Amino acid sequence: MDVAVRPRYREILVNPMFLITALFAVFPFVPYIGKFISMGTAVIIWCLFAMGFNILLGYTGLPSFGHGAYFGIGAYALGITFKHLIHGLWIPLILGVLVGTLITAGVGLLLAKKRGIYFALLTIAFSQMFYFIAFRWDEVTGGETGLSGIDRMAIGIPGLFSIDLSVGINYYYFVLVVFVVSMWVIWRIVHSPFGRVLQAIRENEVRTQYVGYNTAAYKWASFTLSGLFASLAGCLHVLLQNAAFPEVLEWTKSGDVVMMTLLGGGLVNFYGSILGASIFIIFRDLLSSFWENWLLLYGSLFVLIILFVPTGILGILTQKKGRAVLK
Amino acid sequence: MELFLSYLVNGIVNGLVYAVIALGFTLILGVMQVINFAHGILFAFGAYFFFSLNRYVGFWLALVISSFLVGVMGILIERLAIRRVYTKNPLFGLLLTFGIAMALEEMIRMVWGKPGHSVTAPDFISGVVDLGIMYYSKYRLFLAGLSALLIVLVWLFLEKTPHGAIIKAGAQDSEMVMALGKNLPRVRTLVFGLGAALAGVAGVIAAPIHSIRPVMGTYVLMPAFVIVVVGGIGSFWGSIIGGLIFGISTSLYPGRFTDIIPYFLMTLILLWRPRGLMGEKSILEV
Repeated sequence: MDVAVRPRYREILVNPMFLITALFAVFPFVPYIGKFISMGTAVIIWCLFAMGFNILLGYTGLPSFGHGAYFGIGAYALGITFKHLIHGLWIPLILGVLVGTLITAGVGLLLAKKRGIYFALLTIAFSQMFYFIAFRWDEVTGGETGLSGIDRMAIGIPGLFSIDLSVGINYYYFVLVVFVVSMWVIWRIVHSPFGRVLQAIRENEVRTQYVGYNTAAYKWASFTLSGLFASLAGCLHVLLQNAAFPEVLEWTKSGDVVMMTLLGGGLVNFYGSILGASIFIIFRDLLSSFWENWLLLYGSLFVLIILFVPTGILGILTQKKGRAVLK
Repeated sequence: MELFLSYLVNGIVNGLVYAVIALGFTLILGVMQVINFAHGILFAFGAYFFFSLNRYVGFWLALVISSFLVGVMGILIERLAIRRVYTKNPLFGLLLTFGIAMALEEMIRMVWGKPGHSVTAPDFISGVVDLGIMYYSKYRLFLAGLSALLIVLVWLFLEKTPHGAIIKAGAQDSEMVMALGKNLPRVRTLVFGLGAALAGVAGVIAAPIHSIRPVMGTYVLMPAFVIVVVGGIGSFWGSIIGGLIFGISTSLYPGRFTDIIPYFLMTLILLWRPRGLMGEKSILEV
């Protein structure tokens, strides 16, 4: 590179990644709204989930309808470690993500050669299997009542400083840091040569094979990566709720993350899934608090978006056409 | 031994009902390439319509009217929504019907309330019958007989009528069928109505042995997925065999982990024969 690449301040300021980080960082200080710190934390966690999921849906074009399972497996793996093995933060968290990623990788091996309808059907059926395991294996998973009493421990360096994560705002910023790092990592992944191959598979898998790529291996990697971020989000969610419930594994929950991605326009823009997840969680929380049958409106909205604005909000704003996945 | 036999018979009866549900599901999937998430909720509507009609018009009329109404719902759903997404990615049909199912389930809660209801079997088929080796519920036998009859009727329709030929051809190559001057859009509407009516009739006849609840649709949708994956997408015999496998495998060993057995079977079949037991390579599996 012959020109010194030093981004100017203005370029940094208009960078969406910076804007999103700044927006989330000042959120707790917004008068009246900032008191919803728990909802804010949930929004960031779902943004992380949706962003990771979009590696698979938006960039590789693979419609998984059972990703709630990997979110839930991460959640349960953390919960089980915490309840049965070790009281702490880092080890349960790392084990949760590791177990979630490994199981996703295992399922991915079976799914890597599938596409389209077969792929979608199988993801649904697998998620249902994991749901039943969580629901029935009382001794380990707590069955219907789930696992409770999963506390957030303090982090810090002994003798120097300590941050009590059980305080809402501290945990909010902890999640925010994880989110920002993940956002940067995911951005790098989808903009790398590896990410380009994923997009090539989305556009035309057969042609990508003929060029010489082992598309099954790339699809497997994409599936596993999305599972990694799903289980990370699941772990953070379990710590937010201090409990894990079998509902997180139910297949209807998997529809939520697909909806978020489509709603915001994750298929036309990297930041779409973040926008979608934020709107989705806020809208759902507000609506369900004053209307018992809010699902009627939610389901109808779902239908209207699919039929009339499949490119999502960012798709309308940027006037872009949907990508291959939406042809 | 006797216990085993009664479990086996129960499994076959349940399996036949599952087969009827999966048949409608696989028909819609095979012809339209739409994973119909609303299939389960149509099953539930069958049961609810029957619940409301049964006390006024009697069993048989309630059965016919309820199935017909669910068929009409299917046609409306196809005309108003699904018709618009045929040429697009399968994800669209899946999401669309997912949203429809969610809204319709909530509609059931608004109309019929959250708590469950129950209906009783009519007098002429209540009680038990002596099968020689054991006593068995008359209603369950009736259930099996009616399911088998429906399966035969669908088979005759697909194999012996011109409509059936167009449907099967449409599943293979829709462009060619249209080029031959057949009205494919109308055939698709018909198939959707038929598939919906099959779900509805299954809901009606299952109503007396289940409690009628808003979530009942969700509970039959998953078996339909597994049956279709196990049997092979778009295959008539696949859904019958898959339905029986599902019914028997969940009835033979009653216990906590029974629900998981079909999913393990599914995984095994996937590893050994990815297209499903009766699946043909040409349909949908790329």
